[in-house]
Amino acid sequence: MIIFKKALPRRTFLRGVGATLALPLLDAMIPAATALAQTPARPVPRLGFVFIPMGTDHARWMPPGGEVLDELSPILSPLQAVKEHITVITNLELQNSYPGTHDTSNSGFLSAAFAKHTESSDYHLGTTIDQVAARQIGQATRLPSLELSVDLNPLAGVCNNGYACVYQNNLSWSSPTTPLPSEAHPRLVFERLFGDGGSLTERQATLRSRASLLDSFHEDIGRLQRVVGASDRVRVDQYLDSIREIERQIQFAEAAGAEDLQPDLERPLGVPAAFGDHAALMFDLQLVALQADITRVITFQFTRELSNRTYPEIGVPEPHHPTSHHGNDPIKVEKIAKINTYHISIFARFLEKLKATPDGDGSLLDNTIYLYGSGMGNPSLHDHVKLPILVAGGAATGLRGGRHINYEKGTPLANLHMTLLDRVGVHLDSFGDSDGSIDGLFDSVPI
Amino acid sequence: MTPANVKIPLLVLALSVWGCSEREMSVPDPATPLLSSQTQSSSTPPSAASTREFIDRYCAFCHDERLATAGLRLDLVDFARVAEHPEVLEKVVRKLRTGIMPPPEMPQPSVAGRSDMLAWLEASLDEAAVANPNPGRTEALRRLNRTEYQNAIRDLLALDIDATSLLPADESGHGFDNVNVGDLSPSLLDRYISAAQKISALAVGGAASSIQSEVIRVPADLTQERHIAGLPIGTRGGVSVSYTFPQDGEYDIQIRLARNRVGDIGGLRSREPQPLELLLDREVVETFSVMRPDGPDHSVVDKNFKIRLAVTAGPHDVGVTFPQQSSALLETERQPLQAHYNEIRHPRLTPAIYQVSITGPYGPGGADDTPSRRRIFVCRPDQAGGESEELACAREILAKLMGRAYRRPVSDAEVERPLAFYRQGRSEGGFDEGIGQALAAVLMNPEFLFRVELEPGQLAAGAVYRISDIELASRLSFFLWSSIPDDELLDVAARGELSRPGQLERQARRMLADPRSNNLASNFAGQWLQLRNLGAFTPNPRLYPDFDNNLRQAFREETERFMDSVLREDRSVLDLLAADYTFLNERLAKHYGIPGVYGSRFRRVSLAADSERGGILRQGSILAVTSYATRTSPVLRGTWVLDNIYGAPPSPPPPNVPALDETSVSASLPMRERLAAHRNNPVCASCHTIIDPVGFALENFDAVGRWRDHDGDNGPMDVAGGLPGVGEFDGVAGLQAGLLSRPKLFAGRVTEKLLTFALGRGVEYYDAPVIRKIIREAASDDYRFSSLILGIVRSQPFQMRTSI
Repeated sequence: MIIFKKALPRRTFLRGVGATLALPLLDAMIPAATALAQTPARPVPRLGFVFIPMGTDHARWMPPGGEVLDELSPILSPLQAVKEHITVITNLELQNSYPGTHDTSNSGFLSAAFAKHTESSDYHLGTTIDQVAARQIGQATRLPSLELSVDLNPLAGVCNNGYACVYQNNLSWSSPTTPLPSEAHPRLVFERLFGDGGSLTERQATLRSRASLLDSFHEDIGRLQRVVGASDRVRVDQYLDSIREIERQIQFAEAAGAEDLQPDLERPLGVPAAFGDHAALMFDLQLVALQADITRVITFQFTRELSNRTYPEIGVPEPHHPTSHHGNDPIKVEKIAKINTYHISIFARFLEKLKATPDGDGSLLDNTIYLYGSGMGNPSLHDHVKLPILVAGGAATGLRGGRHINYEKGTPLANLHMTLLDRVGVHLDSFGDSDGSIDGLFDSVPI
Repeated sequence: MTPANVKIPLLVLALSVWGCSEREMSVPDPATPLLSSQTQSSSTPPSAASTREFIDRYCAFCHDERLATAGLRLDLVDFARVAEHPEVLEKVVRKLRTGIMPPPEMPQPSVAGRSDMLAWLEASLDEAAVANPNPGRTEALRRLNRTEYQNAIRDLLALDIDATSLLPADESGHGFDNVNVGDLSPSLLDRYISAAQKISALAVGGAASSIQSEVIRVPADLTQERHIAGLPIGTRGGVSVSYTFPQDGEYDIQIRLARNRVGDIGGLRSREPQPLELLLDREVVETFSVMRPDGPDHSVVDKNFKIRLAVTAGPHDVGVTFPQQSSALLETERQPLQAHYNEIRHPRLTPAIYQVSITGPYGPGGADDTPSRRRIFVCRPDQAGGESEELACAREILAKLMGRAYRRPVSDAEVERPLAFYRQGRSEGGFDEGIGQALAAVLMNPEFLFRVELEPGQLAAGAVYRISDIELASRLSFFLWSSIPDDELLDVAARGELSRPGQLERQARRMLADPRSNNLASNFAGQWLQLRNLGAFTPNPRLYPDFDNNLRQAFREETERFMDSVLREDRSVLDLLAADYTFLNERLAKHYGIPGVYGSRFRRVSLAADSERGGILRQGSILAVTSYATRTSPVLRGTWVLDNIYGAPPSPPPPNVPALDETSVSASLPMRERLAAHRNNPVCASCHTIIDPVGFALENFDAVGRWRDHDGDNGPMDVAGGLPGVGEFDGVAGLQAGLLSRPKLFAGRVTEKLLTFALGRGVEYYDAPVIRKIIREAASDDYRFSSLILGIVRSQPFQMRTSI
């Protein structure tokens, strides 16, 4: 576990956040984690996953040159300052995302699983890599995982195509039938991480009340479990799993006890109006969550599949989705590349901040692996091959960085998932449609 | 009789496995079969044999053993045993009824032949359904979604909350967010606990709540040059909200003005000081002065716009606005646009509000008389009465709350469980605190959080049974109100009288007349018509500079008020498609070019016979949500109409949609020509020859719903369109007339959507006979809204359930 006694570099942190959205109390959060800290033998890896929708312009994504990531491609150019921490992997694919299109680009990204074609609640996918990892490395922190996004309102009636909206909205699934909702509201994320304020006595009282409310709910659900039919008992069992998880979280907070010092908290006040500010703030929240060791597994949906967001600030006033049906129109392709570059630039600033944040003997970036990419390759074809995929950070875990792994033929994205899971101590025979691992991604010395 | 298609060379068949639709060159002249089927229909009544003949002639060409297009093989269906193939045959009925099948280039049956055959087939299916009813199965455990939770708290505790700030968003299935609600993820459970704590503290007004801060942010693209609905007449701009103050005490209220891109306050033109008023319950409590600073630093202007006010607990209207000054200055600077929020394209002419923050309470003094406390504290223990009297009162309070919250009668023994919470709270902080903690426990009870429908014991699997009156009461209230039943409905149900036909209808009508049924116009229609997506609709400001939040709000309000009027006046649902009135305020009327409507208030406006408006197809809301930020989309509009209005949802695009690689078309061409490219591609064409013409008919409306006669530089707008089963027509009037010529299809689609919403499950093939029955009965009542609603309430799937 990471011990973490320095104050947050608050000024650094606020950079890029709208001036009206200051998080003035970030430095006050730090003691929260120290109470939990035990002396670590060696750094524990953290995993992050960032999803972008509707693929990329492959030509402008693909790094030129050979195995060493020397010259960056136009889309990846914002990563210049952290280039040696980046490994681009080319020719990965998601065969299980067929025959779906947008829905399964999202649902397949972290599951590599086949999505059952249904609009009703009999949806079925697979447990996603982040949740498999969270079972292994998430149990030592208060939140086993954190699911974030930027789109606030789920759209009504337009994510169907015969697929339930759960596939398009949720990156993270804790079981094949349990999608985990994500949070896009900065204030709610902040409260989840650091509580919603009040004096120590008040917060302790709140915690006690949470515990007894949960106990009471637990009893009632137990009673319900005895009277429902066999088929509904499966559902109730899932509720019991959720109850156990919240119980664990409450115990964690209780163990932090009186040292869990927080002065009156002011929360992020609202949602930044500009997309770039909002996304950057969501990354900032990831940074503090990782830094305070509140969680070690994060998923982040940059924007949703089928998004019609416009990006006038970078010269793309046209909506993303119809533009992505570019039909090789060079103007449209260029606009897609602009959107891709914009997303990467926001991610790059986050990586730079991780790099500037000390953690253990190195930086937070050294101890954190981020997987960034899409479940779609060419949006005009709605295909799931030649996916844009890169891995960042993780030097302390043996991730080499500064490289381009270019497979000659299509290779399951699930191989990367297997490899990452292996590195955090989950050794599976297979994951999704995996047929091997990504050789040479890590130094052979295990952490 | 020899099926016509056997004459087609096999070679052609082999080439055409892509899709049956690309064979226009090879199909026989339809004249012969058309003629013969007409003779046939007038002579012999339809039967299993004649239906088989019909299928062989018009359908088997594609849906046979060899091609099995769309995986459908009609050669396997035995029409003498219709009851054995309801799933396939309901599909056949839908495709034939809507005219989607047979495809236009294939031989077509005569109108009479088609309708005779369908009448026989539907009657046979209906008969089979009567013999073997299947009401389907709503799930046993269904969580209250965000809207339902918010409404339930309102009706239970007289407390308005914003559930979007307490609970995560719900997932939609079959177009509605009350379908896939069986899950309970850890984060959701976590949030339900937090919500229960916050709500109980707010409702009871407990003494120990900490200082909280709430920010009311004005939408960035709200124009504030004129009066805003909800604020006093004679003011301009600003914001008014109902805010529930948790306790008596002092609160800091701070106002910030909107900045432009460089950080200066927008609209600060005049050096004259302008008053800015803070209103509490519409009374001015403070006046600030907005003045242009001498120096470049604008932060000095509003840094002291802060006041500490004593406010009593409970809901109060907080308003911040500017008194309207002489508009002489405005007139001279008048611009052609209504929207003024963006410094570059359409600058603010006067300062505007950015946000209002409320922080407190300082020196909290508990709460005394609030609507929530009046609702909760149905008794007050006498000071002299001591502990036993307090306990008796607590029991009374909790029994009442629990009955409403769990939507059923509650036994004395059950009250003991929240009483344990009461005792804990009582010992910590007194009687009110005890009630607060017990209330939180009630809000965390699964019977509040979930709608539970358990089957009675000893039922064989697959048995069809009638749900209890108590369960029926919840179905009714969540259908019509998206909320919990009220006392009268619960009483009737508890007496076991609700399922009596007269009583059920009486209750349903009473509830429809209640203002809470506005839920159908906002929540149901918001999802059915996709009005919810308006919030995310932001057209490109360069192309549509006159769009702002005022217009966005007006769009939604027009459609909701219109829906509500059809519901409340119990009009025919066909009026939704064509009406001689609508609801407008000045902003929207100007947008539509309708004169004589002044002010921010919405009012009913009669429309001239030749008006470009009237009916939802001509409303800005629908025209906007089916457009992109830069242009209209005949594809989105066509799909929207076919799916939501006509009941012929197009199939999803095939996987690996081929791109229009070689035929990349210029954006300067008319939309029609751009879309022609994909209609020339056989894979795309099978659907887009149906979808696109529907959208073309609406091309007189641009992406923000304005009327246009010309297509930019491309001459007069070409609005030739068509609808399967109707034929070709011109423009929105033609589309309207076409849709109205098939009233059963529209009424049927509304009923299907209502039924999905009412049951919280997808409508399945076995529901089709029920829907036909509702429509048959509603037809004799001019398809009044109430006839559809009552038809659903009386229906088998609404009152019954299949066990498993």
